[in-house]
Amino acid sequence: MENINFILPEIFISLGIMFLLMLGVFKKNGSGIVYILSIVTLLITLGLIINFPSGQEVYLFNNSYKIDQLSTFMKIITIISGIFVLFSSYKYTKLEKIFTIEYSILILSSILGMMVMISAYDLIVFYIGLELQSLSLYVLAAFNKDKTKSSEAGIKYFVLSALSSGLLLYGCSLIYGFSGSTNFYLISENIHSSEYGNIFGIVFILVGLAFKISAVPFHMWAPDVYEGSPTSVTLFFAVVPKVAALTVFIRFLYVPFVDLIDQWQMIIIFLSLASMIFGAVSAIGQKNLKRLIAYSSIGHMGYALAGLAVGTNSGIQSSIIYICIYLIMNLGFFCCLFMMKRKDEFFDNLEDLSGLSKNHPIISLSMLILLFSLAGIPPMAGFFAKFYIFMSVIEESMYFLAIVGLVTTVVSAFYYLKIIKIIYFDTPKEKYDQDHHFGLKISLTVSTLLILLYFIYPSGLINFVSKINII
Amino acid sequence: MIAHSIFFYTFSLIAIFSAIMVIASKNTVHSVFFLILDFISISCLFIMIGAEFLGMIMLIVYVGAVAVLFLFVVMMLNVAQQKNQWFESTSDNTHIPIGLLISVVIFFELLIVVGGWKYKPNLLSSVSVGINQNITNTHSIGNILYTDYIHLFQLSGMILLVAMIGAIVLTYRKRSGIKRQSYLSQISREKSDGVSLVDVKSNQGVKINE
Repeated sequence: MENINFILPEIFISLGIMFLLMLGVFKKNGSGIVYILSIVTLLITLGLIINFPSGQEVYLFNNSYKIDQLSTFMKIITIISGIFVLFSSYKYTKLEKIFTIEYSILILSSILGMMVMISAYDLIVFYIGLELQSLSLYVLAAFNKDKTKSSEAGIKYFVLSALSSGLLLYGCSLIYGFSGSTNFYLISENIHSSEYGNIFGIVFILVGLAFKISAVPFHMWAPDVYEGSPTSVTLFFAVVPKVAALTVFIRFLYVPFVDLIDQWQMIIIFLSLASMIFGAVSAIGQKNLKRLIAYSSIGHMGYALAGLAVGTNSGIQSSIIYICIYLIMNLGFFCCLFMMKRKDEFFDNLEDLSGLSKNHPIISLSMLILLFSLAGIPPMAGFFAKFYIFMSVIEESMYFLAIVGLVTTVVSAFYYLKIIKIIYFDTPKEKYDQDHHFGLKISLTVSTLLILLYFIYPSGLINFVSKINII
Repeated sequence: MIAHSIFFYTFSLIAIFSAIMVIASKNTVHSVFFLILDFISISCLFIMIGAEFLGMIMLIVYVGAVAVLFLFVVMMLNVAQQKNQWFESTSDNTHIPIGLLISVVIFFELLIVVGGWKYKPNLLSSVSVGINQNITNTHSIGNILYTDYIHLFQLSGMILLVAMIGAIVLTYRKRSGIKRQSYLSQISREKSDGVSLVDVKSNQGVKINE
């Protein structure tokens, strides 16, 4: 019975969802209070997770649910970014008329799904968590039903994601059939590369997971969905599910399939190379900032996968650091997008940024910092993120991966610097509104400062991540 | 044993007959009714082989939900009037070859499965799971579902909740301009709300509905 303490965060968040749903149903005009209470729910859940005694590994529910350093850290990151998303998009959701009780409840339930995914140590648990997460995301993508693009995004994401879930399930069933168990540990005991069914299963599972983090060649949905969904949902899409999917990647590759590293290493290297190259090249011609972020996130996922392909602890840790920093950069960038509004209308095209520095020097400065960081220019945090990845890649003498990574960094620096050029040197446009919500201001300040000042105390994050030892 | 065979053949014959009638009947609504009859006889067969949980679930899910949904769709789309054209049309019968092909494939698949099971019993090795004969299916499923898989059971509930919220969010539209009756406001209406005494001056009239 004392084991129940270990899943207290999950229990609390599910009870929170049900309570907030009831509150929203019975209280008239309760969307505001539900929104604020869901932030409070996430904060309490965060507290419950941090409260978990560190350094312990606990298996729950017949060894199908694992709580360890990795899951605790990733859950903390997921929930913090969830809080930031809700915090920064308060006003946006109000102005876009998607400020209903269901909005925050769906975000909460997808975070619950991600927490289950992160802790999953069994194929069934993993799949259930994934479905809970993606079902909420389908609805969130189509949330603005008055806009055709949002509905289009919802349908596209639903159809393609359901297809990838099907492939994933097929892979899971093959793995179950050939290894005789759904438990990750038992799979790792019974899996052999001599049976082709296992390799087929791994390929299918990796395809499904690559779809979820939009790695090339399974990225087709990302630009359209990112562009069509409401910007607050795009922010959620761009950061939070990637954390969960990356954790699942780490778990799958390094627990059940760890002995088959020769089989999956090439797949991951290919996904990583293709994502880096495609993300860098195809973002150049984009006119819409949300599409551009979609392509840039494809590229960034390529770097994160490069860390996973290495097959060492330092590689995994560098991927985790990469995803943390990527997440903060994207949060800051979207805060800038939320600030580009004029008379309750939001702008998300590249040309709307032109000459921003004349009228809004502070927003432009933080955008400059964030874009430098996204491009990987020292001394911003983005540089260190890429640095750790390349370090671990070179340690294992995978020079080709490192060289392609460096080249694509240079290519992608082109379009990030192009945005800076537009902000600082083009002719100014009309002023944007100044009445920003305080949550938005705080989010932007915090994320920019974290990115800018990371180099002063990098060991804080590194020490935390270095406790995560998978292999 | 004879009673068992009688029951078995009765249910099987009804199942096969109604399955044929599903595709052969000219009225679509009748097809759905035959489908329901088919489901019921199959669930009876399930119960006869001792899978009473599966039979009941079949009854609840397929008859209670799916078939009723079919019926609603058929009635709503108004396809009942369209005559089933399998046996009447002469020109547009391009679907018959494909249908035949699929039926032949399914027939051979069944033949292979049954033949293999009949003439080489160890061809398809069945999973040897220790079945406790003393407890019912429902009992043993419950034993697993509410102990080892309780978290999955609860999480599936959450998934259903999210699906419900999602369906409502995406389809619910607030209509403006609808006048709804509110008993409370009707009863609590005071005389002063509706009636007012106006001093009408001659040749000027009064404005109403201001």
